[in-house]
Amino acid sequence: MASAAKRLEAVPGIPAPQIAFDGVTLVLGGKTIIENLSLGVRPGEFLCIVGASGCGKTTALRLAAGLYQPTSGKVNFDGQPMRAPRREIAIVFQDYGKALLPWRTAAGNVSLALEAGGMPSAERPARIEELLRTVGLPGHAGKYPSEMSGGMQQRLQIARCLAQEPKTLLMDEPFGALDAMTRQGLQDEVLSLVAASGATVIFVTHDLDEAIYLGDRVIGLLPHPGRIGIELSVNLPRPRDQLSTREHPEFLRLRRQLFDFVKATEQ
Amino acid sequence: MTANSAKALVLPLAVLAAFEVWARATHLQSDSLAPPSEIVMALFGAFADLSILAATRDTLFSTFAGLAIGTIIGLALGIAFGIFDTLNRLMEVTVEAIRPIPSIALLPIALIALGFGYRMEIVIVAFACVWPVLILSRAAVRSIEPRLMEVARALRLPPAQRVWKIIVPAALPRIFVAFRLSAGIALIVAVTVEIAINPLGLGAGIMLAQQALRPDLMLAYLVWIGAIGYALNVLLVVAQNRLFGRAALSGDGA
Amino acid sequence: MNRAALLWRVASFAVAAGFIALWQLIANLKLVSPVFLPGPDRAWASLVRGFSSGDLWSKLAGTLEHMAYGWLAASIAGIAIGAIIGSSRTMRTYVAPSLEFLRPLPVSAIIPVAIAMLGLTQAMALFVIAFGAIWPIMLATVHGFGAVEPRLYEVARSLQMSRLAVIFKIALPSASPDILAGMRLSLTVALILSVVCEILAGLDGLGHWVLLSARAFRSADLFAGVILLGITGYVTSVAMSLAEHKLLAWQAAQR
Repeated sequence: MASAAKRLEAVPGIPAPQIAFDGVTLVLGGKTIIENLSLGVRPGEFLCIVGASGCGKTTALRLAAGLYQPTSGKVNFDGQPMRAPRREIAIVFQDYGKALLPWRTAAGNVSLALEAGGMPSAERPARIEELLRTVGLPGHAGKYPSEMSGGMQQRLQIARCLAQEPKTLLMDEPFGALDAMTRQGLQDEVLSLVAASGATVIFVTHDLDEAIYLGDRVIGLLPHPGRIGIELSVNLPRPRDQLSTREHPEFLRLRRQLFDFVKATEQ
Repeated sequence: MTANSAKALVLPLAVLAAFEVWARATHLQSDSLAPPSEIVMALFGAFADLSILAATRDTLFSTFAGLAIGTIIGLALGIAFGIFDTLNRLMEVTVEAIRPIPSIALLPIALIALGFGYRMEIVIVAFACVWPVLILSRAAVRSIEPRLMEVARALRLPPAQRVWKIIVPAALPRIFVAFRLSAGIALIVAVTVEIAINPLGLGAGIMLAQQALRPDLMLAYLVWIGAIGYALNVLLVVAQNRLFGRAALSGDGA
Repeated sequence: MNRAALLWRVASFAVAAGFIALWQLIANLKLVSPVFLPGPDRAWASLVRGFSSGDLWSKLAGTLEHMAYGWLAASIAGIAIGAIIGSSRTMRTYVAPSLEFLRPLPVSAIIPVAIAMLGLTQAMALFVIAFGAIWPIMLATVHGFGAVEPRLYEVARSLQMSRLAVIFKIALPSASPDILAGMRLSLTVALILSVVCEILAGLDGLGHWVLLSARAFRSADLFAGVILLGITGYVTSVAMSLAEHKLLAWQAAQR
């Protein structure tokens, strides 16, 4: 099977992938977590990865982030091999409670990314305020993460990631721990933030509806070892809408297809 | 586990070996340092003439006597303060006024009141041991499941039985943690008193060795004192694990 | 609620005053020889006399100086060494067990060694105080660095933060509750060792003052010195609490 990356390159008129997995295998502690994974993500694409727990979807994300190095194969970013994490790639962790600095206020947590990017301290406050407003946290700059709800903390983490001005946003089940209402609100906000920034997104989730609702493309991974089992293009109109999109016949068709796939893998 | 403990030994062994080689190569003549081999010889010598054993006995006697007295007083006060909130609140200022006095500052008072010897050392050790036991046992009693106290009341246990049958057993794991901390403090205070002024025990032994310009013997005492401190700690940790399981260790944070 | 707390406080002070009155009574009735036990009136008079003549001021300053220098040196060195050991897995495996082994050593046992090396000098006292006070700080730092949330290190990596920035912006603040607890413990150790060193080496300070007073059977001066040492212990520990409270405000929010 030709790798997805090569397939994408072969088609004229379609830009080269921003992130490309080429025959990536990862062995951790004697266990093959991911085997021969090839995958290309175009600039500005919103790619969702779904699969049963233990299928390696989070691991794939960490490979894309440069937090892991493949045992064999290559992960390329803009045509360059990924040897370490880089600031153009921001990662939103699922456990926001652990990924925020508890000793810094909301403003301080956003500031961390600006400091790392070398922004002069005089310019930071305005930018921080702007970012907090963008994620819907105006007026919470002085609060510590522990004084915020789960949804607010995740917004804060997203604000910090946006402060990196990332070309790619990696999101690891970012809304997995949130209640349904908060989750839907954040889904729409992420969509509009991404549309505004033009960032490429890889979004890992175990929620099939969420994957179809958000993505341009959905990939389902098979477990033990992790490999691609299904790949679906989502041709739903944008901007998406919580009611009409979810009732769209195409949505229901994709949902059915994905559902059958997941059910088959569980047997 | 074994690989890690082997790694743990690398540094101390390397330091000792390097020191030995250096001392021999330079024909070390010093009032404060001696090569490890001579320290070991001095330690054997001190064992052979029983001097270090007598000193150990004296120090441990003061340590444990002070620890026992301090623990009993601390425990009695701690349990009383834990049960009777009124008493605790009324005594707060008094306790907070006495507690910060560094135990060693009592040394001159104990000295003029009791003279040199075991008694003054025991008093100072006991004073130092009272506070951790008091504070931790008070906290332990307060944190007893209220349901247990209700049971005690429902059974109409008289106060003395309530203390012995409910409160002490329920608070025992944390009280033992306090005891373990106090035991470490007791040894430190005993040795410190001996080094500062009291002419008995290991502390006096190490001071005498220093004044006699016997660095080998002085360092042998230092090693031995360290070994006793370590052994006491290990013994109490093991006892705590045996008696109460690992759960008790969580009380350390208190 | 606040009013009740205030009333309890007042009652508690009254009880303490009662104890002082009892002490006065015992002294007045000479139940204990006045050679050993001065009344609070005589101890107070000695305090006032000592401060107005400036004698006690200089003794107090001496003790505070020993304590502060030793403690500060221990804090700086303890945090630095602890950070080096704690931020490297290799160092933790090879060095930390030796530290754990040395921890229960009664630190005062190092005094004769320090005397042999440095004599009965100010330098000896500072060395001993710093050596004694470094352990709680260093061990707390090692522990605190080892307990940093791994996710935060990943955040740091994805932000491409430098090693120095990771230490100062992630590891140190994360370990700060442990470090401050260690520094608080060390404060007590520093005070005790200051007193011991002053007694042994005859250095200017409250330790020396109380010993001389005891030798001369000036019990009022002796008690004045001990009370002052108690106040020193109390004030330094309150100051430390305030600093902790201020620096760890984020932790209070967490609860």
